[in-house]
Amino acid sequence: MKVNGVAIDDTFAEAFGMSGTGLVITADTAKWARIAAETMCGFGTSVIGCGAECGIDREVPAAETPDGRPGVRVLLFGFSPDSLLPQLRNRVGQCVLTSPGSACFNGLDAETTLALSAGPRFFGDGWQTAKRLGKRRYWRVPVMDGEFVIEDKCGLTTDGVGGGNLLLIGSDRAGLLETTEAAVAAIAKIPDVITPFPGGIVRSGSKVGSKYKGAVASTNDAFCPTLRGATRSELEPGTIAVLEIVIDGLTSAAVASAMRAGLAAATSIGTAKGLTRISAGNYGGKLGQHHYHLKDLLA
Amino acid sequence: MSGLVLRLRAPLDERIDLSGLVAAARAPSAATTLARLPVGGGRQPIELGDVFHVSGDGGDRIVIDGSSGLVDGVGAGLDGGEMIVEGDVGQGAARGMRAGRLDIRGSSGHHLASGLRGGVVAVTGSAGDLLGAALPGERFGMAGGTVVVGGGIGARAGDRMRRGTIVVHGKVGAAAGARMMGGTIWTDGGFGDGPGPLLRRGTLIGAAAARLLATFGDCGAHDMVVLRILNRHLATTLGPLAPRPLPAKVRRLAGDLATIGKGEILLTAT
Repeated sequence: MKVNGVAIDDTFAEAFGMSGTGLVITADTAKWARIAAETMCGFGTSVIGCGAECGIDREVPAAETPDGRPGVRVLLFGFSPDSLLPQLRNRVGQCVLTSPGSACFNGLDAETTLALSAGPRFFGDGWQTAKRLGKRRYWRVPVMDGEFVIEDKCGLTTDGVGGGNLLLIGSDRAGLLETTEAAVAAIAKIPDVITPFPGGIVRSGSKVGSKYKGAVASTNDAFCPTLRGATRSELEPGTIAVLEIVIDGLTSAAVASAMRAGLAAATSIGTAKGLTRISAGNYGGKLGQHHYHLKDLLA
Repeated sequence: MSGLVLRLRAPLDERIDLSGLVAAARAPSAATTLARLPVGGGRQPIELGDVFHVSGDGGDRIVIDGSSGLVDGVGAGLDGGEMIVEGDVGQGAARGMRAGRLDIRGSSGHHLASGLRGGVVAVTGSAGDLLGAALPGERFGMAGGTVVVGGGIGARAGDRMRRGTIVVHGKVGAAAGARMMGGTIWTDGGFGDGPGPLLRRGTLIGAAAARLLATFGDCGAHDMVVLRILNRHLATTLGPLAPRPLPAKVRRLAGDLATIGKGEILLTAT
């Protein structure tokens, strides 16, 4: 199938069930809320090496935050609630608590919760106090610029999805990057999803396993253009680069919407900047619970 | 007016106790038995129907049309729905209330909202002493919910209070927040003599205090994030009854340092 001159593979993205949570980080200015959020999301690209996958979902206007200051919503995903909790605790403790003027609130309404404040609040060394307002409890931790306020609990979902993806294949590396950036920008407008890799883009797609003992993943040689003549390549002649967008979402529907938005953005640009083909990564359909067929997302 | 309606037959000349009204109104046979609910506190037995003309059914709405300071226990144990009282109420209104809304269109006696766990209590007039306080022998006073009083209140409000919010648009009497262990008391009119004796935790917010205890330490004027949250929470919960939003900076006094000192008085007139 071709859309606007771009070939669309008859394949699907295979994704996995994940545990996820959301936070709203506020500060005196939108700039400092974003700094805290970006710092917290650092080294949060893949659960395999980073322990969690993190990213900014959206900016939250002051009118919608609990403290009336500008905020940023961050999503975190992990293999399980047990693996997510220490990541949450450490990232908030080291990156949000430390950021000037910051406060940290629940960003996901759910019946199941994680103990967001367990850890950061003990930084107060006994001076921390709680304030319960309605059904929500906030901890006030004295710090050197005033108080760090952190909500006691944050919502947890085990219906999250990690690993929705698109592979954009092209004949011009710089142009392909521009097209992929446009797709990431379109995905950023979809609520409840993140693209956790740098700028939302992965240039080092992986396959499962390695010739080296102990490595759980290694370069996806079938999609490496410089190995096109040396391995069983998936790439056609003329291909110079492949860029991947990995998508995590709080729901399967959100991931599907994000993939649909990314596909639409990329195909609307078409071949003008070197995009030739769009594919998706899977493991034969046997590992992941969620399958997103590209042809369904173009409808 | 729909729901259960109690219309006062004649002015009262002795105290009555309505603390059993909510439970009785929720009973399946309320329509036939409610008028026989004992409400007397003296030697002569008094039934609800002797004092009030009872009409309507239980439901989620109870209206008391005509009341006085001799009617105790109004709204006690309310666990949802709405109760509206036209007139003053006596002691122990909203005692042990867990949810719903109690509107008192008049003034309240002592021990309003004692043991309150949830819901909203709104009083257009004033309230007596020991609002939200523990009764003798009880470990905790108010432990949740929100109380709004349009006028002033008496002494020792929030004694042994654990959680919840009290908003007073008028003045608060002496020793507010005594032995308080959590929660918030907010007054637009300011505190009387010596707020917060033996305050352990919790927040007292007001324009000023008639006299501050020596066991509170001045921490200076600060812009505190938690007050922004409180402003927003009260605006959402109370709507037009919410107090004026706090100024950007308040003066924080930590105490009572005669005890663990994790409480605070926040003075808005810095």
